[in-house]
Amino acid sequence: MTAVLQTTPTAEPVANYRLSLRRFTRNKLAVAGLAVVVLFLLFCFVGPLLYSTDQTHTDLTQVNLGPGGSHWLGTDAVGHDELGRLMYGGKVSMLVGLAAGVLATVIGTLWGATAGYAGGWLDAVMMRIVDAGIAIPALFILLVVSAITTPDTLGLIIVLGLVSWLVPSRLVRAETLTLKSRDYVLTLRATGGTHGRAIRRHILPNSVSTIVVAATFQVADAILLVAYVSYLGLGVQPPKTDWGGMLSAGLTAAYSGRWWLIVPPGLAIILVVCAFNAIGDGLRDAFDVRGRG
Amino acid sequence: MSPARTRLLTGAALSAGTLLLAGCSGSSGTSSSGSHDSINYALPANFTPNWILPIGTAAHLNTNNKSISNALWEPLVAYDGSTGTIGWNKKGSVATAADFAADSKSVTITLGDRHWSDGKPITSADVKFWFDLVKANKAEWAGYSPGKAPDNWTSFKTVDARHFTITFDKAYNPQWMLANELSQINPLPQHAWDKPGDAKKDWTYLNDAAKNIGGYATNALWKTTSGPYDVKSFSTAGKVVLAANKKYDGGEKPGIPTVNLLPFTTADAEKNALRSGTVDYGYIEATDLDQKDSFTAQGYEVKPWSGWAITYMPYNFNNPSMGAVFKQLYARQAVQRSIDQTTLAKVVFNGTAVPGYGPIPQAQTSNFVSPTQKANPYPFSTSAAKSLLTGHGWTEQGGVMTCTSPGTGASQCGEGVAKGTKFQMQVLSQSGSTVTDNMMSAIQSSLAKTGIKFSIKTAPVNSVLSQTPQCTTSQSICKWQLSFFGTMGSWYFNAFPTGDSLFQSKGGSNFGNYSDTAVDQLISASTTSSSNQAVQEYSAALAKDLPVIWLPEPDYQISVVKKGLGGFSQDSLANFHPAQWKWTS
Repeated sequence: MTAVLQTTPTAEPVANYRLSLRRFTRNKLAVAGLAVVVLFLLFCFVGPLLYSTDQTHTDLTQVNLGPGGSHWLGTDAVGHDELGRLMYGGKVSMLVGLAAGVLATVIGTLWGATAGYAGGWLDAVMMRIVDAGIAIPALFILLVVSAITTPDTLGLIIVLGLVSWLVPSRLVRAETLTLKSRDYVLTLRATGGTHGRAIRRHILPNSVSTIVVAATFQVADAILLVAYVSYLGLGVQPPKTDWGGMLSAGLTAAYSGRWWLIVPPGLAIILVVCAFNAIGDGLRDAFDVRGRG
Repeated sequence: MSPARTRLLTGAALSAGTLLLAGCSGSSGTSSSGSHDSINYALPANFTPNWILPIGTAAHLNTNNKSISNALWEPLVAYDGSTGTIGWNKKGSVATAADFAADSKSVTITLGDRHWSDGKPITSADVKFWFDLVKANKAEWAGYSPGKAPDNWTSFKTVDARHFTITFDKAYNPQWMLANELSQINPLPQHAWDKPGDAKKDWTYLNDAAKNIGGYATNALWKTTSGPYDVKSFSTAGKVVLAANKKYDGGEKPGIPTVNLLPFTTADAEKNALRSGTVDYGYIEATDLDQKDSFTAQGYEVKPWSGWAITYMPYNFNNPSMGAVFKQLYARQAVQRSIDQTTLAKVVFNGTAVPGYGPIPQAQTSNFVSPTQKANPYPFSTSAAKSLLTGHGWTEQGGVMTCTSPGTGASQCGEGVAKGTKFQMQVLSQSGSTVTDNMMSAIQSSLAKTGIKFSIKTAPVNSVLSQTPQCTTSQSICKWQLSFFGTMGSWYFNAFPTGDSLFQSKGGSNFGNYSDTAVDQLISASTTSSSNQAVQEYSAALAKDLPVIWLPEPDYQISVVKKGLGGFSQDSLANFHPAQWKWTS
């Protein structure tokens, strides 16, 4: 019995991960994406230690100043230093994006794995719930929740996580359906292995690639979603901000030549979202067994 | 493509378009169509005209519909700001004189020698027709407020075809009666409209006919007019074309034969129309003022349009947690002293607002404002505000003032304020306005310096209205503490700025349940006394007592007007008067 178990592919992922890492590092776009994400994380979380600004109080004597000496990226309409605000807003955007993406992936993974592994009526009920959830636009739910409660960082993470887990759950369920009918899983079950052991030893390790790829896309989507909600004025409340809120506030100056209120947050959103998507693409290729030679 | 990126690219494209247009177009003194015979006027964003009948429900008789209606059926007494100052514009009125009895309990009105467009004279019977319609259907009438007109008009007596007398239930301030009540009367063509012959049936008949927007240009009912214009076309999508009434024999002859009133779904769409030169009289937002030169280069003039209004943030005096704090005058003084209205008006509103220190509008010169209100009894000073709180039993803990000395003594927190109460309050504010967001951020910042925590929650304006109703402490809906309807939600007064609805105990729009017996008496006196002293005393009392947080009053609109269009003043009561518009060059 022991010999049989040792021949199952549970040991494979370790070697595969080394191979996957090699494949990932060969993907220049993915590596560049990773670099961009790391740089933005440093910018948002370490930057304020090096470039200290007051983002709590307004200063109406310093409004709409262009980039220059004391304000490298100028100031906004209430006198906040724009570079400092970009770091401050980035903290919220990145934190909400990462946490909501991870939360959505965790919920989706548990839901999808349970549905896929259990099968039968439970699978049918759980997946109809997912179908129903996907039919309701996430933005609609976010707007309703924002109207009822005062959005804060934790609230946004929870709400975004709760509306974003549906797609990962479908992916993981599909993966689980495939894996549970594999010979090594069937063998484990036939030899007396428990469901839990089958999930721990085979289903989850072999779904990691799908989950990780889904997570990166979830993070990108969550950053976009929080930007969108804030753009509509329903994100975190002042004095806090995020890149979407900054963009929304800056767009009124679109015809006034104050590019520093629009370009930096817009660029930050685009770069970070593209970077996470590039990482996701790189990871998908790295984990794809069909490309391995 | 992401929504944010789409917006960016759209913004860039629009910027490029603007520059191109600015470079290509020159100034002109004619309309967008290139002639002196027409004008294109931009209606407020998201407003679609849908009513022309001078009587109707509140849902129909909003400011803009009323402006259109008044161009077709001239009011008895046009009491407005169309001549530059608020007063009786006799050229735009059917009445020529209003003689109040010595005891101020009745008025005799004299009608001008005027005719309907079908040639029949305008007589007292036409005014009586309006009077009877409103008396019989007062609950449905837009202008009705219990105890006010028509309740306080006890009789209508026809003297002759051009004279009639209205008697009141008691003596009233003639100026108030003229400005706020008699100005609502519109003589209606009784000979053409009184078909059912019964006031109730007439009301239903006319209102039913008015619901057919498609019939405004064709239904014979609407062809008998007294105003300077007739309806040429009226689309359900909102575009209205008015043509000069050739039979008009009043004092305000139309200066431009054809008036096109254009609807826009958004302010951005309207701005783009301005930039493309298709609008002769439009508007921009305060945040666009730094683009003034680009509009000037396109042949426009930028003319701020100030309103007869006040802007404020009501306290909810019945809020279970903060109501007791709001009831303390020193606490309200501390809040008011933490708000730098002068800088807000100058910086956040780009100079298109004026500080307001009391219940009377201050953008215009008037005899109603008291010296106390004018002088600003609570000038900005966060240190003085802090002293007010520390002198009344509050101590700053962790940046937030906390009541450490409860009680009713002179140096204690005051009645109902428990030990440990933190001075933290939340406003529910209108979303979607950059100016409002910026003002709230600035207020939050300056209140923080005093030690008052001010959190902001935003919601669409209709949501703000529904979530901040009048309430009692025990009601679950009473959790709101402060509300702000936004800079477009300022309170616009009738010509005589009384506070019966806003600040009288149980007043219909007294959202925060402010109540003060002395103020109630002053408000009543302002409507009955024939002297301005009463309204000035009311002004001074509320400037000192702070029933709300007074805020800067923004202009009603930043108008952008084609050069050469003149001959008019922008009415601070927020009506437009197309007959006064003229191409001067």
